[in-house]
Amino acid sequence: MTLLLDMLTTAAILYGVAAGLLIVFGVMKIINFAHGAFLTVGGYAALLVTAMGWNPWWSLPCAFVVGAVCGMAVERLVMRPLYSRPLDAILATWGLGIVIGQCITLTLGRGVQFVQSPVTGAVALFGTTYSEYRLLLVPVVLCVVAALGWVLNGTRLGLMTRAVIMNEELARSLGINSALVRFATFSVGAGLAGLAGALITPLSSVDPNMGVPWLVSAFMIVMVSGVSLVSLGVACLVLGSAQVLVSSWANPILGGLTIVVLAALVLRFRPEGFARG
Amino acid sequence: MADLPLSAALPAAPLRTKRRRLALPALLTVIALTLVLGAPELLPTYLVNTLIRAFLYAAVAITVDVLWGYTGILTFGQSAFFGMGAYAAGLVFTHLGFSPGMALFALAAGVAVAMLVAALLGWLAFYPGASPLYGSVMTLVLPIVVSQLLYSGGNFTGSSSGLSGFESFDLSIEAWFRIAGVFLVVLTGAVWLFVRSDGGKILEAIRDNEQRCEYLGINVSRVKVVLMIACAGIAAVAGFLFACVQMVVAPEYAGFVFGTELLMWVALGGRGTLIGPVLGTLVLDVTTSYLSGSLPFLWKLLSGLAFVIVIVALPQGFTPALWSSMKRWRRQAAAPLAALELQTAEPRPLAGLQGAGRHALALQDVRKNFGSLQVLQGISFHADPHELLSLVGPNGAGKTTLMRCIADGAERSAGKLWLNDHEIKRAPPFACVALGAGRKFQNANVFETLTVAQAMRVARTRHARPSLWRRSAVLPLPAAALQVMQATGLDQHLNLPASELSHGMKQALELAMVMALEPSVLLLDEPTAGLTKPERTLIGQILVDLTREHALCVLLVEHDLDFVREISSRVIVLHQGRIVLDGTVDEVVQSELVRAVYAGGAHAGSS
Amino acid sequence: MNITNRNLLLCIALAGASASALAKDPVVIGTAVGLSGANSVVAPSVVQASQLAIDEINAAGGILGRPVTLEVADDASGAAGAQKAYDSLLFQKKVDAIVSMETSAARNAALPIVSRGKKPYIYTSFYEGRSCNKYMYVNAWVPEQQVASVVDYFGKNLGSKSYFLIGSDYAFGRGMLEFTRKYILSKGSKVAGEEYLPMDGSDWTAIISKLKASGADALITSTAGGAPNVTLTKQLRAAGVTLPFGNLGVDEGTAKSMGADAQGVYVAGSYYTNIDTPANKKFLAAMQKKFGADLKTPNDLSVPQYEAVWAYKLAAEKAGSLDADKVLAALGEVSFEGPRGTIKMDKQRHAALSMYMGQVQPDGSIKILEAFKNVSPGEQCPKLK
Repeated sequence: MTLLLDMLTTAAILYGVAAGLLIVFGVMKIINFAHGAFLTVGGYAALLVTAMGWNPWWSLPCAFVVGAVCGMAVERLVMRPLYSRPLDAILATWGLGIVIGQCITLTLGRGVQFVQSPVTGAVALFGTTYSEYRLLLVPVVLCVVAALGWVLNGTRLGLMTRAVIMNEELARSLGINSALVRFATFSVGAGLAGLAGALITPLSSVDPNMGVPWLVSAFMIVMVSGVSLVSLGVACLVLGSAQVLVSSWANPILGGLTIVVLAALVLRFRPEGFARG
Repeated sequence: MADLPLSAALPAAPLRTKRRRLALPALLTVIALTLVLGAPELLPTYLVNTLIRAFLYAAVAITVDVLWGYTGILTFGQSAFFGMGAYAAGLVFTHLGFSPGMALFALAAGVAVAMLVAALLGWLAFYPGASPLYGSVMTLVLPIVVSQLLYSGGNFTGSSSGLSGFESFDLSIEAWFRIAGVFLVVLTGAVWLFVRSDGGKILEAIRDNEQRCEYLGINVSRVKVVLMIACAGIAAVAGFLFACVQMVVAPEYAGFVFGTELLMWVALGGRGTLIGPVLGTLVLDVTTSYLSGSLPFLWKLLSGLAFVIVIVALPQGFTPALWSSMKRWRRQAAAPLAALELQTAEPRPLAGLQGAGRHALALQDVRKNFGSLQVLQGISFHADPHELLSLVGPNGAGKTTLMRCIADGAERSAGKLWLNDHEIKRAPPFACVALGAGRKFQNANVFETLTVAQAMRVARTRHARPSLWRRSAVLPLPAAALQVMQATGLDQHLNLPASELSHGMKQALELAMVMALEPSVLLLDEPTAGLTKPERTLIGQILVDLTREHALCVLLVEHDLDFVREISSRVIVLHQGRIVLDGTVDEVVQSELVRAVYAGGAHAGSS
Repeated sequence: MNITNRNLLLCIALAGASASALAKDPVVIGTAVGLSGANSVVAPSVVQASQLAIDEINAAGGILGRPVTLEVADDASGAAGAQKAYDSLLFQKKVDAIVSMETSAARNAALPIVSRGKKPYIYTSFYEGRSCNKYMYVNAWVPEQQVASVVDYFGKNLGSKSYFLIGSDYAFGRGMLEFTRKYILSKGSKVAGEEYLPMDGSDWTAIISKLKASGADALITSTAGGAPNVTLTKQLRAAGVTLPFGNLGVDEGTAKSMGADAQGVYVAGSYYTNIDTPANKKFLAAMQKKFGADLKTPNDLSVPQYEAVWAYKLAAEKAGSLDADKVLAALGEVSFEGPRGTIKMDKQRHAALSMYMGQVQPDGSIKILEAFKNVSPGEQCPKLK
């Protein structure tokens, strides 16, 4: 039972972390390696919120806003020339991640710090006790993703975004301002990363490099899933569960490898990954 | 075949220019070696320590530059191979003890493991049809896997602590400085010889235009895999030396952050320049060591910023700025390069096959579907040498798709295809070239940074393997290719990079490259696109001559119906994936059906 | 200018020159500590302890009449960082001695460089034992001095029979738990499981699930100091684990920062702020005076640092010079009266120590349950004396 809950909560966490990366990849066909840095920024936003004494739940919207603002700045200043050069985009965004990380270190110190969890304690569930906060993450992530899905499917901006994802040339020739769509997408993606960062820090800790391990896992999952939130969810569930199983039966370190290795193999033999059709 | 005049050449000149060309690099090598051997006594110990590390990192940076700067493979994984070499030393010395024999064993084991893993990585990452992004992703996955495996090794690999305290060679720091320095200088020299050689140009060709290389008969996947294996071995040697000097190995040295640091150094030094990455690594690593005590974050911030700027705005890095200031001097030294001799090569069409077959090209019921969309529906015909066959039809008829199916065995969904009576089955493009296909693309598909002569030599790779360390002063080409070059004036511009050619000249260059393959079936996709009237006439004349004199079968897709009428011996009309008419020019021109097809009124199947 | 003015200028110049010659070269003590990485939680307290020691030594006239300065380097709590830090300290900053609290990964990587740099090195962190080097002295505890107290208490007072062991995967974690396992088995109890995560790992979910499934009735952990302790404890409490929990690797400062999560954890070490001796009270007062509101809780990782800097001063003055071999010989002979009592590193480069076993209270302080005097470190470096 604990195992199942582990799988579910791990999948939820991965979903939250990867969602922002997915929409950026879907719209712009580039991988944003600064995603880890945005995650870190969100974590530090949560740190500052709790340090100022506010209710810890405020850290979520704050982290989203801070992340989105960072994303806006990055998109405006750096991303434009890179859209046609996906490999260079990986490198440039990685470099940006370093810059952001150093800015954080210069202002907030390089040590490891901790954020109080908004909800502490365990809940008795189906015969075992389980961390309440971890369980809470599942509905929170689902809400966030549902909100994202509603924006994509129910609003004009979402419609324009989906058009750009499918065929940018055509969308532009129909009068859709693809530059605006990219700007909005990148900012929202960064905001989601910040939000995810704020969500995961109560589980462990905050330090200037906390985003890097998440970046690689999220990146591999995004490559494997198709460009839909549903297929991302499926990918997170499958790969996250595999990670938990390997961690439990073999070795937590090998568990950390599972996502990366499985994703690489899936891509080798089925380049569309988990996408339908 | 008529004897074609050769370009004039002075036999004495090549030898003198070659000597002069090599004089500067040889001098630089001697200076570098002197510095490396003499410096340790004069430099402070801290700098000596730091430089030893920097030399070894620079050796790995060279491999990154070869893979990324020269071949276009963005690799994060060289650090993994470095780590493998280091851990080979660490593991052997810790668990099996130290002795010169053990050291040799550790070195051999490290290099062997690295090469094996590189072969596996190459198989995973560079399979035909793999996207460059996927390849890079794989090279990203490797160091993560390796470092995590090291973390999971418990007491065997030391996990987070790494391995330390093992015994190693009892040499002084100065001795290690010399060893590492000489290793770097020798490696730089050897790699430099390679990348400037004729064989080395293939790397740049792959970087510029991988697809064109495939269609020139070069097995690009294999080249990449072999390159990866070689670079892995070199990185492993550097790692081994590192472990012997430092006597500590830790998982970070095999990790992905180190891999990205290497990329940063190469990018800042100047990718594709070899010396740039070496100098870049040395300068940056030493500066980081000196500043890490006082301004660690500011320095890292600045280098991160510089990296972003370089990637976004200055893809060539900072070193080329210095280089261009030396350009004047370089150009003088390089001027005599011009004396490149063109020769007629021994004709070896279809080298390896049993000569020309009954038909140059035969198709039987070839079909192509994209999902439920049927683009080609049962195409069957055959073509013979000396035929100039034009393929016409309205847009969307499937003409280019048919071309693709002939040149690439994996492309079609069903049906059989024979080139020179050899069934192509699922052969990839480079194998179809071996069966006699030569495809010229619609847009001028050439190598932007290579000169005309270099491009032609790359095109001849399948017939004349280029040297891996020398630059030949002689370029043997088949008569047909020479004919094209002379007719279009390309032979006057042998040392001009393709990017400086006009559009028409680029088209001619591509045609010449394809003719250098000695194909028996020449596939041309809209050869007159973007050409002026005189250029069109010229190309038409060339094609007719080629067909008549060199027993070619030419298959050409065209929209310019006047051009088709002038030069073709036979026309096939395609409509909605089916052959509507196959006959002489007159038959097609007078056909009511064809007129209706072009006007858009008729559907295939209606009479 | 006339002759008298020129002579005057000459005199002033000479006086200035000789004055600068009289201003002595400072004695530089280097310390490499984990300002980033796993140890970054404790590092500030270690730096503070070093600074206090140096202030006090300078106030008392310095070492051999020369002022003392501190050179701090970041070893990133790991092997690769330690290599850079030690290279910088020994060859760039050219320190006269190194007094360091660091992870075992960093120490192991540093030792070859220390051997090349040929300077005295005092290691001030508790560790897994049996690390020996011609240039190293250790004034902190080893498992022989600590583990028994916890296991015995669990067995006698809490009736624990089946233990689950969790550690960080590096020399310290593995070494401590290896010793612990042997000790547990020798006492007739069982080990229900033993799991490791890399030093920088922070996701203990799978291991905690294994703990719950194992049916163990006591938990003993030995993770790297600082961050891993905090994340593990947080996640254990979040998962509702209430087993008797003995943490072999946590210091008081980190325990305090954990807040309510740390309550009830059993710890053992050679220093807690509650130690009731005049020397400790004097030390705490001095720290409070110097750092005021910025004071980080002195703990078992920072106090040995303070004592070691003082030990170096005493050794250098006994040897009469800063020469490495002489100082190394003297370090085994001097004894310093510090907050932890009398510290003398004369047991094969290690020191006999007073040990305490306690439990973390709701307010974060440690209530001392048992005290042991003069506990021997056992056979650590038989080949060195």
